[in-house]
Amino acid sequence: MRIKDIESRMQNKFPDSPLKGDDTGVTGAKWSISVPISGIRDAAMEFDAAGFFLESITALDFQDTFELVYHFNCYEPGSRVTVRMLCGHDQVPPTICDIFRSAGWLEREVHEFFGIKFSGNEDLRPLLLPEDADYHPLRKTFGRVGAYHKREVIYG
Amino acid sequence: MDELEKIEADDRVYSLNLGPQHPSTHGVLRILLDLDGEYIVKCDPVIGYGHRGHEKMGENRQYKQFLPNTSRMDYLSGLLYNHGFVLAVEKLAGIKVPERAKYIRVIASELNRISSHLLWFGTYLLDIGGITPFLYAFDDREHILDTLDTITGSRLTYSYCRFGGVTRDIDSKFIDMTRAFLKRMESRWADYEALVSKNVIFIHRTRDVGVIDVNLARQYGVTGPNLRACGVAFDVRRSEPYEVYDRFDFEIPTGTRGDALDRYDVRFREMQQSCRIIEQALEQLPEGEFLTPKVPQKLSPPKGEVYTAFESARGLTAYYLVSDGSPAPYRCHIRVPSFGNLNVLNDVLPGTMVADAIAILGSIDVVIPEIDR
Repeated sequence: MRIKDIESRMQNKFPDSPLKGDDTGVTGAKWSISVPISGIRDAAMEFDAAGFFLESITALDFQDTFELVYHFNCYEPGSRVTVRMLCGHDQVPPTICDIFRSAGWLEREVHEFFGIKFSGNEDLRPLLLPEDADYHPLRKTFGRVGAYHKREVIYG
Repeated sequence: MDELEKIEADDRVYSLNLGPQHPSTHGVLRILLDLDGEYIVKCDPVIGYGHRGHEKMGENRQYKQFLPNTSRMDYLSGLLYNHGFVLAVEKLAGIKVPERAKYIRVIASELNRISSHLLWFGTYLLDIGGITPFLYAFDDREHILDTLDTITGSRLTYSYCRFGGVTRDIDSKFIDMTRAFLKRMESRWADYEALVSKNVIFIHRTRDVGVIDVNLARQYGVTGPNLRACGVAFDVRRSEPYEVYDRFDFEIPTGTRGDALDRYDVRFREMQQSCRIIEQALEQLPEGEFLTPKVPQKLSPPKGEVYTAFESARGLTAYYLVSDGSPAPYRCHIRVPSFGNLNVLNDVLPGTMVADAIAILGSIDVVIPEIDR
């Protein structure tokens, strides 16, 4: 069971971050873990070693911070895991594109839509937007926006 | 086609612009190829021509208003995307769905999956030079479109699902048309096998071409038939059964070599499995409501997030919605399978010939508007 394997790996690597289990199935993941910016590369390497693949990277824009959400999955039933990372509006997280090759494009997408730079990713050209785009459409300060919250408003 | 020539040391490396209006790129995909003679040295897909900002639109609309958007991403399997979105919102808002509606959704979704695969089947063979199968496949596909038309009212961009059910109940006319289609296909599979699967030219064109091994697929997050062709029996319908998929007896076809021929083979057998699912679903179809009454028009789900995966015709697709308790989602992200499936070309194309690039690109079955969103 790879999910058990990654569970013990993550607990060894991040003893201070508890695994938040989800029995309802609403979040789609077995459990989620919050890692610091400095820990995302270590986490990705553990997932790679445990035979997981990177399903998606996306970001959430809050008034006080960005939050990057990584979904990892493997080919066994119900093994999705969420890794969350808070990232200040002026912080630069490290890339994981040398660990998971799919991360290259996913980080390009997050970069163009949110303006988050990934240190170490050499190729951050816009992917879906025009080559000369200097705006970040999925930021809550762009265009018509319903609400712009602090993170605690949604996640308590 | 724009052709640029540059001389690097003693090597002659050409840059070739494949697309964005090339018929075999199925939509507006442009691939920058660096060529050494006929061989590809480097490949850089340029995408985004069809970017409409569906994720931003999702944040600006109420949940119900986003429904028509869903089928405009992967327009070939629009009903599956529509289905997936209502699954996500129902989970988030805790809406119950009647049994009958679940079966109806499965039947309609599987019909749409077959129509998507049939279109791929026809156009793929067209890409590599076979014109006749295209006409056969579109003839069959037309039957599905007509059948779905009777219940959904549309031919391509379906918006059939509603939170808590579907818009319209299925009647005996729909059931008869579906059964007639299944009956028709029984003999068609044999025709296709004789016409295409056993065709020597086709086999030579696709065998050992564009091999994706399991590790490469994992690195790029390849899912769907492309992954199953490498021998991994990973299907969301089996690994995280949604609706009533756990009640049906169906196989997950897999390949062994991970080449273009295996990808063809997997999709071909998948259509037959979809027929099996429809047959069983029609058999088990219960009586009852097709739509939960009194679902509010303006939904305000509780604060929190939902991530719902489903198997579209191209692989693992997922909606990630974050709710702040208001009638519109705070964040609406869509994980699309073609993203990883196209990305893998960066590693697959170098070392192959230009003519094979067309055979590989077609066998991956990408839908560009789905990537561009």
